[in-house]
Amino acid sequence: MKLSPIGFASFCCLAVALLVPACTNNPYPNEGGETRVFYSSFAEAPRTLDPAVAYTTSAHVITANVFDTLLEYHYLKRPYELIPALAENVPEPREMADGRVSLLFRLRDGVSFQRDRAFELNGEGIDTRIVTAQDFAFQIARLADPAVNSPVFENFASITGLRAFRTLLSERRSGDTDFAALRADQQYMALGGVPGVLVNGDNELEIILDQPNPQILYWFAMPFTTPVPWEAVAYYDGNEGRDRFADHPVGTGPYALTVYDKQFRFVLERNALWYGAQSEHRDAPGAAFPALSDISDEDIASGRIEPAYAGRALPFLERIEFRRERESIPRFNKLLQGYYDDGGVIKESFDAVVENDDLSPEMAELGMRLDKVVEPGVYYIGFNMDDDVVGRAAGDRSRKLRQAMSLVVDVGQYLEIFLNGRGVPAHSPLPPGLFGYDPDYRNPYRSVDVDRARSLLAEAGYPGGIDLETNAPLKLTFDTGDTSAQGRLRYQFFVSAWRTLGIDVEIAATNYNKFQEKVRSGAYQIFFWGWIADYPDPENFLFLLESASARSATEGPNTANFMDARYDELFAAMENRANDTRRIEIIRELTGILETERPWIELFHPEAYTLRHSWLLNAKPMGLSYPVFKYRDIDPDLRAERRLAWNKPLMWPLYAFILFIVAATLPAIRTLYRERT
Amino acid sequence: MPWISNIAVLVLVALGFLGWRTIRRNRLWSEALRALWRRRRISLVIIAVYVVIALLDSIAWVGGTVSGDVSDAVAAFKPRSIIDRIIAPEAFKELSYSAPFAEAGFYDDAPLNHPGAHVLGTDILGQDVLYRALKGVRVALLIGGLTSLIVIPIALAFGVAAGYFGGRIDDVVFFVMSTLASVPSLLLLIALIMVLGIGTVQVCVALGVTGWVGFCRLSRGETLKLREADYVQAARALGVSHAGIILRHILPNLAHLIVITFALQFTGLVLAETILSYLGIGLDGSWGQMIDQARDELSRDPIVWWNLAAASCALFTLVLCVNLCADAMRDILDPRTRREEQ
Repeated sequence: MKLSPIGFASFCCLAVALLVPACTNNPYPNEGGETRVFYSSFAEAPRTLDPAVAYTTSAHVITANVFDTLLEYHYLKRPYELIPALAENVPEPREMADGRVSLLFRLRDGVSFQRDRAFELNGEGIDTRIVTAQDFAFQIARLADPAVNSPVFENFASITGLRAFRTLLSERRSGDTDFAALRADQQYMALGGVPGVLVNGDNELEIILDQPNPQILYWFAMPFTTPVPWEAVAYYDGNEGRDRFADHPVGTGPYALTVYDKQFRFVLERNALWYGAQSEHRDAPGAAFPALSDISDEDIASGRIEPAYAGRALPFLERIEFRRERESIPRFNKLLQGYYDDGGVIKESFDAVVENDDLSPEMAELGMRLDKVVEPGVYYIGFNMDDDVVGRAAGDRSRKLRQAMSLVVDVGQYLEIFLNGRGVPAHSPLPPGLFGYDPDYRNPYRSVDVDRARSLLAEAGYPGGIDLETNAPLKLTFDTGDTSAQGRLRYQFFVSAWRTLGIDVEIAATNYNKFQEKVRSGAYQIFFWGWIADYPDPENFLFLLESASARSATEGPNTANFMDARYDELFAAMENRANDTRRIEIIRELTGILETERPWIELFHPEAYTLRHSWLLNAKPMGLSYPVFKYRDIDPDLRAERRLAWNKPLMWPLYAFILFIVAATLPAIRTLYRERT
Repeated sequence: MPWISNIAVLVLVALGFLGWRTIRRNRLWSEALRALWRRRRISLVIIAVYVVIALLDSIAWVGGTVSGDVSDAVAAFKPRSIIDRIIAPEAFKELSYSAPFAEAGFYDDAPLNHPGAHVLGTDILGQDVLYRALKGVRVALLIGGLTSLIVIPIALAFGVAAGYFGGRIDDVVFFVMSTLASVPSLLLLIALIMVLGIGTVQVCVALGVTGWVGFCRLSRGETLKLREADYVQAARALGVSHAGIILRHILPNLAHLIVITFALQFTGLVLAETILSYLGIGLDGSWGQMIDQARDELSRDPIVWWNLAAASCALFTLVLCVNLCADAMRDILDPRTRREEQ
């Protein structure tokens, strides 16, 4: 066909005009959002998904949904409450004749692993297997295996013989080459397993503890104690093109990891073999949505939980998609366009999203909901109690100094300036929601009182901040591992507060490695640190100041090196006690010691703000518990409709541009045409 | 150590006076200076203002009363410069951000201690931005000046030696130069600062080590040319010593290069410090640090622009004026362009 230049040009324009409307900004071009898929994102792929090692939030989001645990946290109840999952009951600790304690878990029948190639080790064509108590014992043995290098070994060390098992294992491995060549599970078997983990048949697991340790039950609600098939560990060794086990989790959970592309996306898909899908376990507490009686009025009123879901069989979502988002602003924009179902509030657009501590009208119009949750953590400024000036060596003098310094730090202002007010001022190490937290407790040294601080400072022998020996302001150092300009501003906030007292605090900012070195060698005075709970028990916070975990003596997490005989005594009495009124009294006494001693200036408990779209149902902020996807649901029709409405392409600039190009080229085409003819 | 700074000011003022007298007596230089004043009057005045601010900020002593409502009891025990004493930052502060000339604070219209008084607003900690920008002047001039004092003698010594003597010396100098030039300078800078630690002198030394190559190459080339000049050949034939030739004939003929390079190097160094600050290894109180701290403020909504604007404008003005003067100096001192002008 012969086409004149003008004809050709108009054909091109027509083609562009027809093609363009088909383009959209949908990041999932093959899906319209009609299916029950939950869209989420990740910034960096977790280093490992091995349930014995993975200890970060980004890893737990995956592992907690792929691996079932013996116990779980109740999805809705606060304070947190344990419910049985793979176990049939939450075990009652039973004291044995010799003073040791036994925990007896009865396992559910007929629980099987997700389909996976690793099970072909048992024979051609086999792709799954029934879970036995042995699989739990295998995983607990892995926690003690020095080659696995689990970060939580110490937390399980109260299991009888676990420590000895660890030593024995490494001794045999280094001494006996035949032994070292065996598979890991065969090695554990050859040593007879961990003495304190008894497998009574296929369905009973008994854990023997050297001494009472009520907190250990919480660890059975974390993926560390999930059943792990020995086949997966043996098969996924990273050789001959097979994945590493750290990248290929094989569990029993409601979802299975089917795509794991660390640079681009992860996909969790519904596991058809999950125990909750079997008729006999349909009513298990971990397999059904909580009953109506367990849904609080507040959850219903805030629109978080749909009461219609009460008692329905889990899970609801077909699939969970995680896409990689390196930058926070594009991620947030996609949330606003409806391509992510929930997300955090980023600092940059905080003022546009939150107004007067509530959603801004623009966000409310989009149907967004804002959830605020105080995280179970605490940020604090600590004093090194080994130091000659601020520490215990200076006795009452340093105590008054610490009290004075604590009295001038205005944490409310700090939160306002640096965190948009996202945080709750702390009066003791214990965050809200924990047993022993008293909302009415006001620490007398944690409200600003400059006059009182001045008089305390004078009593300490530093009148007006003047060190009488040098006749100059008392000089202290604030050691930090953060050299960024933003970090510096934060530390400067505290420094200028102390300057009002006449104390001259210098910021010694080094890189993180050098800072850690300083901490190891004990050459530090004041530091800023934070702690996030592993499990909801006051012991997990108060042990941070126990002398058994002092940094200088035992390399423990008590970086303040606080050592107080009375505190240790009370702590020992509180540690393994059940939650009764006596325990509250002891906790009061413990925080009372901290109140006057001031090894810490407690700053705040961080608060997380989450935005979620109207079509995301039953999304209760998770806090400590991560296997939450099975409870959530999506209204896909509403989502598809909103996405379409919010992402209408703006076409006129394009048409205007095309028109402009055509108008600009017309004279040239006319000249060409004229010359030809 | 305020006394070092105070003595340095004295020395600088004395040197400036001496230099002024020397230039007055030398016809060539005094004419050049007059021509520069004719062409770049505004730039020269602005540079002079910067220098005066830096000098005022360098004269510091302990004592005197801290004015106003004191919220900083330590200040009275610290050496405070004349700038500190004029602005009194201990009292002249707010709780957090406030816009330039604002009557109320940035957050929730909180009442200000000094409504309408902060010409350039206040930063996140409530410090006056104008004060911080003024404090940055001294740091910038110190970085530029001190590093140039390190760079120029080294570069000149190596360059002249290599160019004049040639042979082995030239080989060695050229080898060192090429090696340094082939290492990416920013990486070398960062590595040096990691080794030396962060501090004014350390940063200056690091900048000096990476910065002398360009001028060294220039002075070597110029010396190579001058060595073959008739008057140098004649002097050599008459038996004048090497030192005599270098001091009497070569160095004076390199003088205009030194002046121009000093000016260009100066601006390059000030900018380099900004980049270092952005990487978190710059000097305390520099404009680079202000810009780095303002990094988050631009992407937030509503935007906080005054911090970044103040630091950038102060930096830009200084660099522009010095560059304009350097440009004019080159025209004035270069014999070719001078002839064209006449």
